[in-house]
Amino acid sequence: MPTPPPGVSERDFAAALRQLEEVVGREWLFRTDEDVALYRDGYSPLWGEAEERKASAAVAPSSVEQVQGIVKVANQYKLPLYPISTGRNLTYGGAAPAYSGSVVLDLKRMNRVLDVSERDKTCLVEPGVSYFDLYRHLRTNKIKLWIDTADPGWGGLIGNALDRGGGYTGIDYRDHFDAHCGMEVVLPTGELVRTGMGANPQAKTWQLFKYGLGPWVDGIFSQSNFGIVTKMGFWLMEEPEAALQVAVTVPKRRDVVPLVDALHSLMSSHTIPSQVNVVSPLMAGNDPELTRLRGSGGASDADWDRFAATRGGTPFWAAQFVYYGPRKVITAQWEHTKDALGGIAGVKFAETASYTFPLTDEQVEAVADKARYGIPSLNLFSSRNAPGAQPSEGHMDFSPMIPPHGEELIALTDFTGKVYADQGFTPSFVGGLMFHPRTMICFHAVPTFRNAADNQRTRKLFEALVRGCAERGWPIYRIHPVFQQLGMQMYGFNSGSLHRLHETLKDAIDPNGIVSPGRYDIWPKRLRGSRA
Amino acid sequence: MKRTGVAVLLFAFAAGAAVAQDAPIPAWSRTKAAVEGRGTPVERGAAVFNNWCSACHSRGPQNAPGTSSLQFKYQGSLPAALEDRKDLTAEQVKFYVRNGVAMMAPFRKTEVGDADLEALVAYLTRQR
Repeated sequence: MPTPPPGVSERDFAAALRQLEEVVGREWLFRTDEDVALYRDGYSPLWGEAEERKASAAVAPSSVEQVQGIVKVANQYKLPLYPISTGRNLTYGGAAPAYSGSVVLDLKRMNRVLDVSERDKTCLVEPGVSYFDLYRHLRTNKIKLWIDTADPGWGGLIGNALDRGGGYTGIDYRDHFDAHCGMEVVLPTGELVRTGMGANPQAKTWQLFKYGLGPWVDGIFSQSNFGIVTKMGFWLMEEPEAALQVAVTVPKRRDVVPLVDALHSLMSSHTIPSQVNVVSPLMAGNDPELTRLRGSGGASDADWDRFAATRGGTPFWAAQFVYYGPRKVITAQWEHTKDALGGIAGVKFAETASYTFPLTDEQVEAVADKARYGIPSLNLFSSRNAPGAQPSEGHMDFSPMIPPHGEELIALTDFTGKVYADQGFTPSFVGGLMFHPRTMICFHAVPTFRNAADNQRTRKLFEALVRGCAERGWPIYRIHPVFQQLGMQMYGFNSGSLHRLHETLKDAIDPNGIVSPGRYDIWPKRLRGSRA
Repeated sequence: MKRTGVAVLLFAFAAGAAVAQDAPIPAWSRTKAAVEGRGTPVERGAAVFNNWCSACHSRGPQNAPGTSSLQFKYQGSLPAALEDRKDLTAEQVKFYVRNGVAMMAPFRKTEVGDADLEALVAYLTRQR
């Protein structure tokens, strides 16, 4: 018998599990320690500690009706449920609940691609559909549409969109929540709602027009706990005739200012359609002098340029992006880009890959930067990158948002470099990634471990990064459940009025507080004392 | 990013073909348990491997970060590709699928069910 969630008696928990078993069948209720352990977050910064977030059981429905049946049982016993889609939100919590003792509602079995319209360039999927699944569906059926995949191909379209993840292709597709059109939601009361045009059962435009009539409520189901999304539509990109991947490098530290300004303008004018990475090849690695400069937190441009002069022409900054479209058009876009950036002394331009579509299976295999062409993979999951190296165990993504200004990227790099050094860590990768049209995300992979001592150091580092960056105007856009309370505290205008609004909504929509208590620090009234 | 160099298309499994080992698997076929209940345990296990393991553990090292990582670990003392191992036991396969290791997260029963796992064991221990 698993340990009941806090506040639920053993007798009620046993009765609830019996009823859940009746809803889904014996095979799909998981209650043994061995089975429930599969829902642990292998990258948890609390791994093995008493505070690690763990489930009490898991239940895996195969239909919307079963989800509604589960919700009915949960309301009867005030049983906390934690819905997951593919359960692969690694670095942001994986399949583990935000509130220990929750019953994970594993939606992986609901894995149907319900509709794809090549003519309208849309799809409608269930929560268990991964990027691999949809890609395979499109290839198998020779549908000339692209997906926009997150880096790990086993992620789910719905889960990733609801946590507001992103990808790499065109601006209309790579912000995954923004690319959705219409959803179906089981509310915490069990009532079924369709948003946008889906509220009209005869509408022919559920996946074509986002708003429907009246308030547009879709946003409240992202990064929240207001419902269980069981269907979601997405816009898909039409396969282009061709693509050209390019790199632009500049030699000096301060060159990043005109570089990013120009790239932002080119993105705004839709000259550059793809996500743009601005990274520092010069600041990669563990060279002792590099580590010293980064850890100082305030090395001057002259210091950095002297360092650069000793590094054999390695550019300080490199930008990478892709043009998609007719060959003639992308050639002209690239020429215009070179004109716009040509005034930076020492700038260099390179064409790094060129494709004409469709690709054969062998060509797909040979594509180096797969996600930039909507091809899912797990290529980032390499534990070792050198002979005899200690394997990486996991990490959390730290993802502050900055304006698309080179000065801000430099300032954030200086600040975080010092924080890492002060906490005894090697400073992280340096880059600003332009997923969204008006901001850069400066991802850092903060390592996590399978031992408490190292994780304690990691948590201290992570908190220092979150607080310090927020104080400087760079709050995070998404965060691991262990730190969601801290993250929301950084959005504390007017003594936390936004957070109070979230909880006002929670009380109205989920009166028994059964869906994902604590996710993004939104607690139902009966559990507000659970907030640390 | 990386890539592969391995076995057979799902269509071949569905047709009950013998497990081949030398043709490349297109990345897009690496998903979905498409051949449940068909063929011998080894054939079903090859499909499970294709669906759930090959995106990391195909014969790579390109497009196979797990194989690449094991190459660095073993440095030739053992084959880096799991499909080429002759020493794997049922207990080892089950342990790593259900517990994960390093960056590899465990697989839940809604992903790799118990019957799938038995088939995977049959495939990865076939050369013992």
